[in-house]
Amino acid sequence: MKGIRRVLFLASAIVLSGSFLWAADPDFHQILRTIDAMQDFGGLDYSAVYTIVTQKPGEKDSTTQARLFRRDEHNQFVLLIMLPEVQKGQGYLKIDENVWFYDPESRKFNHSTMKENISDSKAKNSDLSKRHLEDDYEIASTSEGTIGKFPVWVIELKAKTNEVSYPKTRLFVRKDETMVLKQEDYSVSDRLMRTTLMPKYTRVGDKLLPSMILINDELNKGEKSQLTMTEPSIARLPDKVFSKAFLEQVSQ
Amino acid sequence: MKTVMTIALRNLSRQKKRSFLLGGAIAFGIMIVTIINGFSGSFVENVSENFSQLLAGHIFIDGVEKSASGKDVSIIRDDAAVSALLLDAKLPVKYVNRRSSFNGTLIFEGKKVLQDVVGVDLGNEKFLKDRLVLQSGSFESLPKDRQGVILSADIARKLNVQIGDRMLVQLKTATGQQNVGEFTLEAMSVNPGLLGSLSAYANKDYVNELLNIAPNEYQQMGIILDSINQIDPAADRLYAAMKTKLNTFERKKADSGQGNPLAAMMKQSKTETWQGTKYRLYTLNDILAQVQQIVNALNIASLVILVVLFLIIMVGITNTFRMIMFERIKEIGTMRAVGMQKNEVRDLFLWEALFLAIGGALAGLVAASIIMGALSLINIGMNSPVFILLKNGHLTFKLIPWQVLANVAIIALLTLLAALFPARNAANLSPAAALGTTK
Repeated sequence: MKGIRRVLFLASAIVLSGSFLWAADPDFHQILRTIDAMQDFGGLDYSAVYTIVTQKPGEKDSTTQARLFRRDEHNQFVLLIMLPEVQKGQGYLKIDENVWFYDPESRKFNHSTMKENISDSKAKNSDLSKRHLEDDYEIASTSEGTIGKFPVWVIELKAKTNEVSYPKTRLFVRKDETMVLKQEDYSVSDRLMRTTLMPKYTRVGDKLLPSMILINDELNKGEKSQLTMTEPSIARLPDKVFSKAFLEQVSQ
Repeated sequence: MKTVMTIALRNLSRQKKRSFLLGGAIAFGIMIVTIINGFSGSFVENVSENFSQLLAGHIFIDGVEKSASGKDVSIIRDDAAVSALLLDAKLPVKYVNRRSSFNGTLIFEGKKVLQDVVGVDLGNEKFLKDRLVLQSGSFESLPKDRQGVILSADIARKLNVQIGDRMLVQLKTATGQQNVGEFTLEAMSVNPGLLGSLSAYANKDYVNELLNIAPNEYQQMGIILDSINQIDPAADRLYAAMKTKLNTFERKKADSGQGNPLAAMMKQSKTETWQGTKYRLYTLNDILAQVQQIVNALNIASLVILVVLFLIIMVGITNTFRMIMFERIKEIGTMRAVGMQKNEVRDLFLWEALFLAIGGALAGLVAASIIMGALSLINIGMNSPVFILLKNGHLTFKLIPWQVLANVAIIALLTLLAALFPARNAANLSPAAALGTTK
């Protein structure tokens, strides 16, 4: 009888520990959805100033300052360059799937993409727009790791289509709170192209956004950009901000 | 009339030095203008020939697909239909090549260069081998190394790469994804000057892999015809055939007055949506539409030079003929006294001017022919930065007969105009006053 009790106890312990382990493995799709939602302002407008300092070996550091305006509900995006002086007034406008680049010197709008680098930095327009991880990628594998003192989930993503900039990306997401601390982007040939670190976050309304982003170019060693976000706001923006006329007007 | 003409000729030979200087001025003017016209005449032909060898085509066909998100993807997956149409159209085809290409960044030890890399099948690209002058390395080594690349010496110098060095290449695939590959420098071509960014060649197989397209797929079909003069009619025939069987972009021609025809065609794909592959046909003439504008500018410049030169020469001619009139004032008086009419005196001066103009123009044309002949004998070489203007390393000149005749006619007219006023004055002299004039 005592033996049967011992077996039952052991069996229950195994089942309980198994279920505990099962519970410890989170829903990674939910994590992706949370990351997407964390930076999606939905019906609210979002604006901020981004200062991008880019370092390249043998060159003087360059600083670009740009004001970002977003209306995520309508998939609208405006990035207006304020510094350096020679590029002042240049800007990107995204309405639905169309992206234009405006050059005040030629006073012309040219078709562009969100994959374009901002000025001569390592940051792309898409780094500042809302993310679509859940739509664009599927989970290839998951593992555990640490970034600094934080335990993280390492989620390897594979692009669902061949139109996403990076066909493979690895996210290092904090376990205790859903925050991407590091991201590695890989080429089609599976070569690490860039590493993005997000050491600081700030709350904007009920959203959590990285206030500092460090982007390392893994192909051109030593080339990196640091993005610092300031003046975040979710105040309502005038509709005219998301128009070609706005870029033309502010550049004059 | 005959007597007047004979006297005019005799008068010219009486003052040989003066006639020689005046005729020389006319000859110089016509020589300069003829050389410029000759150069611009062969400009389009030489530039077109050289471009056709580098781009490997007189007629080009691109395939464009729309991706799920509406972006253009440049690709020809299956060219059976296009090849069949090409065969049916019975064009004077010398050969057909199939190329893929991308614009990427070559990276080597901290140095970067933006470069167009063309994927070629060197086995079939005879024209390329004939045109591309290698400074080091060989064509044979490229097919042996799948990841081999030929760069211009200038680009290799910028990257500081030597034969055998491996470099990275960063590019976007056909669908716009980021990709990285590696190239080994197998050969260096002589710096092609203006076309430096067009001059990197790699194996098509590897370029396709980097573009993430299948080995049998490609992006552009280039058709080389027997002669560059057959481009437009051949393209018209092929386009007409393609339009009936394939989904084809509307063709914009160089003379359609819609700006750059190629840019206009590229714009079309941005505004249209379709299923499957849509084909775009364009020609070397469309690509080089702006070259014709350069030629037109050169021709206008030469005409302006001609007119300006002759306005200066006209002043000289007018002064000289006024001087001649005063020198021959007694002679004019005598001729008028023995019965020569006013208009005959005027014609005498005008015939003299006309003979001077024709003589000068002929001398100018002869001098221009000698100079053009001598210049075209100099072998500048195909490794010159100005090779694009040359034919097999030589400058060539092509004169259009009507243009030469027009230049001579302009000169004759302006010379007559310059001599007209002194001629009229001479004709209006009264015989008594002329005979009584003391110098």
